[in-house]
Amino acid sequence: MLYKVCRLYCFTEVDRQDLFQEIVIQLWRSWPAFRREAKFSTWLYRIALNTAISGLRRQHRLITPTDPEQLPTELQDIQYSADKEEQLQLLYAAIDRLTEVEKALTMLYLEDRSYQEMEEILGISQNNLRVKMNRIKDKLRKITKAVAHGIGKS
Amino acid sequence: MELESLKYIWHSLETPPAKVPGRQDLAALLEKRSRGPVARMRRNLIAEAILMFVTYTPAVLCYLLAFDGRLSAISWLFALLAAGFLGYYYRKYRLLKEMECVTCQVKANLARQVKTLKKYVRFYLLAGTAMIPVSYLLSYAIIRWKMPSVFNYPSSPAGQSLYLRLHPIPWWGNPLFWLILMVPLTIGIYYANAWYINRLYGRHIKKLQELLQEMEAE
Repeated sequence: MLYKVCRLYCFTEVDRQDLFQEIVIQLWRSWPAFRREAKFSTWLYRIALNTAISGLRRQHRLITPTDPEQLPTELQDIQYSADKEEQLQLLYAAIDRLTEVEKALTMLYLEDRSYQEMEEILGISQNNLRVKMNRIKDKLRKITKAVAHGIGKS
Repeated sequence: MELESLKYIWHSLETPPAKVPGRQDLAALLEKRSRGPVARMRRNLIAEAILMFVTYTPAVLCYLLAFDGRLSAISWLFALLAAGFLGYYYRKYRLLKEMECVTCQVKANLARQVKTLKKYVRFYLLAGTAMIPVSYLLSYAIIRWKMPSVFNYPSSPAGQSLYLRLHPIPWWGNPLFWLILMVPLTIGIYYANAWYINRLYGRHIKKLQELLQEMEAE
C-alpha cells in the first residue's frame, strides 16, 4: 500500500524513496500512541495520506493537473491492447493528472474501501464523497482517452 | 476507460517492488532525519536557539566581568534580550508541536496545519516587529537606572538653561530624536518582516488552503 501511495504522489524514484522514508518515520513515531479506536488500515491510510498530501515536498512536476473541460470530447474509445504493462502505465498516467485530493479518493476507491471508511480516513461526508467520486469517474474517463491519444500538458 | 476496469488493472496487474525492505533497511530508514516541513522548521528553530545562546552568553559574561563591571548595564541588556528570545523560541516550538496530527483525519489535519501555521506566522511577525521598541525601552530603562545623572536636570527653567549651556547635548543625544527615529524603524522592520515571512511560508499556506477548500467543496 505504501508503495502505491508513493507511486501516486511522486513522479521520480528519488522523490518516491523520500516519501516512503517519511511515511515509515511517521508510522514508527505514531505507533506507541495507536489506541485501536480506529481500524489498523484506517490508521495506516491516514498517516500515509497525511504525509503525502500535506508534506508538499518540492518535486519536479512532470505533469500538471488537467482540467477536463479543456480536453476534447470527440475521441473514439481506444481498443486497449492486452499488454498489461501498457494498461498499468495508462492508469498511472491518468491518475497523475488528478489533484492531490482526487488521487487520495481514487486510491481508496481502487483499494475497495467503503465510503464509510473513506469518510473516517479523509473526514469528508459520505454524500460529498459520492459526488466527488462521480466527478472523478467522468474526469478519468476523459483523461484516459486523452492520454491514450497522447493529448495533454506535460 | 471506466473506473471499474481501472480497478481490475489496479488489483491484478500491479506487482510488488522487486526488493521489499527488510528489518535492517527499515532500521536504517528510521535513523535518518524526517524531511517533512514541520520537522525541518523545528530543527531550524533549535539551531537558531543554540546559535543565540552561543553568541549571547559570552557577550553577557564579557560585559559583566570585564572593564571592572563598569559596563555591566550592557550585559543586563543582553541578558534581558536573551530571556525574551528564549520565550519567543519556546512559543514557536509549542506551535510547531501542535501543528501536525498525522493520525487525524486528512481534512482535520489540513485545517489544523492552516490554523496553526497562520498563528505561527502572525507571532513571528509581531515578535520581530516588537523587537525594535522593546530594545529601545530596555536600553532607556537601563540607562535611566545606571546613569541617572543624565536625566537629573535642575527643576527651574533658569537652572535647566544654565545646565544645558554647561553640558550641551548633541542633537543625537536627545532622547526625543531616538523616540522619533523608532517610529519609521518599527514600520520599516514590520514590512521587511512581512515580506520575508511571506517568502518563507506564503506559498505553503496558500497550497494548504487550496487543498482544504477542495476537500470542503460540494
